[in-house]
Amino acid sequence: MMQEVLRLQNLQKSFGNVRALKNASLTLKEGEVVALLGDNGAGKSTLIKAISGVFPIDRGDIYVRGEKVSIRSTREAMDLGIETIHQDTSLAPDLSIARNLFLGREPVNLKWLGVFAPLDLAKLRDAASALLKRVGISKKLDADALVSTLSGGERQSIAISRAMQFAAKVIILDEPTNNLGVEETHGVLRFVKEMREAGHSVLLITHNIHHVFEVADRIIVMRRGEIVAEQTVADTDLLTVESLITGADLSALMKRAQ
Amino acid sequence: MRSPQFSSFVILVVLLVVFGIADSNFLSPLNISNMMAFLPELGIIALGMTLLLTAGEFDLSVGAVFGLAPVVVMLLVQNAGVDIGVALLAGLLLCIAIGAINGVIVTKIGISSFLVTLSMLLIVRGAALYITQGFPLKSWDQPGFFVTLLAGSFNIGAFRFYTSLWWFIGLSLLAVYILRYAKLGNWISAIGSNRNAAVARGVPADAVKIWLFILTSVLAGLAGMISAFRISAASPVAGTGYELEVIAMVVVGGTALTGGRGTILGTIVGALMLRAIRNGIVLVGVPGLAYNIFVGVIILAMLILHALLQKNAARS
Repeated sequence: MMQEVLRLQNLQKSFGNVRALKNASLTLKEGEVVALLGDNGAGKSTLIKAISGVFPIDRGDIYVRGEKVSIRSTREAMDLGIETIHQDTSLAPDLSIARNLFLGREPVNLKWLGVFAPLDLAKLRDAASALLKRVGISKKLDADALVSTLSGGERQSIAISRAMQFAAKVIILDEPTNNLGVEETHGVLRFVKEMREAGHSVLLITHNIHHVFEVADRIIVMRRGEIVAEQTVADTDLLTVESLITGADLSALMKRAQ
Repeated sequence: MRSPQFSSFVILVVLLVVFGIADSNFLSPLNISNMMAFLPELGIIALGMTLLLTAGEFDLSVGAVFGLAPVVVMLLVQNAGVDIGVALLAGLLLCIAIGAINGVIVTKIGISSFLVTLSMLLIVRGAALYITQGFPLKSWDQPGFFVTLLAGSFNIGAFRFYTSLWWFIGLSLLAVYILRYAKLGNWISAIGSNRNAAVARGVPADAVKIWLFILTSVLAGLAGMISAFRISAASPVAGTGYELEVIAMVVVGGTALTGGRGTILGTIVGALMLRAIRNGIVLVGVPGLAYNIFVGVIILAMLILHALLQKNAARS
């Protein structure tokens, strides 16, 4: 039986008078890809930012593997095994691939020197090369190459492999296919499937419903800060999901049109 | 080798050769000793500024801190009868406070460092002028431990060097180590390159920036003390305009004004270059009042060169 990895219970978050998150609850199981859908302003970003520790929630509980946790910083989220990959904001373009892969978790010698400790450059490069090989992009990419020289798809692949490398339990992908070409998009979706096979749980935020049907197991729809629907992909179709997102009954409209 | 610090280095060598040919005194021991006496004072500030710029911020108050720190130290010694060691400690704490205020306002309130440190420049310079009533103070000229430590001199053959050169060399090595080899350097570059990415990886971006503001301020104060001890005077207007000169050194060396890409070696080259230009231009007979024109033109030419190299690199 698939184990529960992440459970959110009645999360609430307000910004001034705006209730961005009203009462959100969801569960994520091991090796499951869940798509989080919703229009702009539906509360998707607020929800994932709350999980990834960008800001604290006002009310509600978060459980990781059944244990109640509080997430007060991005660091704490990472330590709990929650990795978030934001579109375009995940990598530092002026740093090499290797340095990006280990940013914030640099392997060092003389650990007692704290932030002044020297980087273990050999280990950094070896681990980066091994990782690039494992995810199948070693032929093209050099661990010492600057991220600014990479394409959007390559950057996304680097960010995703970084999340997988740290054996994250939960990987949150925020619009991972935005601004990507067709081939690159397929590369990213292939990655999502690989993540699932490797046992990671994936929370996928996207606007592209076709991608959802290609890779997701379950769909969660948000509207105005609330979760309004939860369906398994096998039991639903594109039109139903679209009407759930907009709140309009599209299938009825279509029938009338016919 | 198309890295910006390398092209700067080539141009530095060209400049030295041109000045050397144009005026035989340029490479004389006396003139080199002179240049080496001035070099560390701005160079030390430039090291801090390089780290700060790499993290994506800059500090316009360094010139004013350069002036205020020695003035405060000397007032404490001469008017309040405080021991020189204690007075130096007070000066250090003052610099730490100024840097911390800069850093906290920039990171926690979110005002650009340009505006924050511009205001700080006025406050600090104004404070120096007010507490001295605009008059320069006679500096500490009694030989002793601190004077030897900061402004002692020694001869190597025909050359006369100040201990400040050791400070500059030591601090340079430390800065190279931090930026290129230490964990902290990875964080500094990442913060300047993409702050959100760094924060998302758990890098304490605000704390790093605040400490860099403090470091820059302390180095500016140290440079001010070195200068005051060397010339035995503490002037409330010392260091006027240094902030721009220091930033010029840093960017001429190849550090990006927008953050993310910093090079200490480039900054050392930049510091040498601006020193050599200022010195050489006077020696070859450019009228004193015109020489800023030449300095400006050379800086601009360097920056254009860097930009072109960058474009080429991006294309290939």
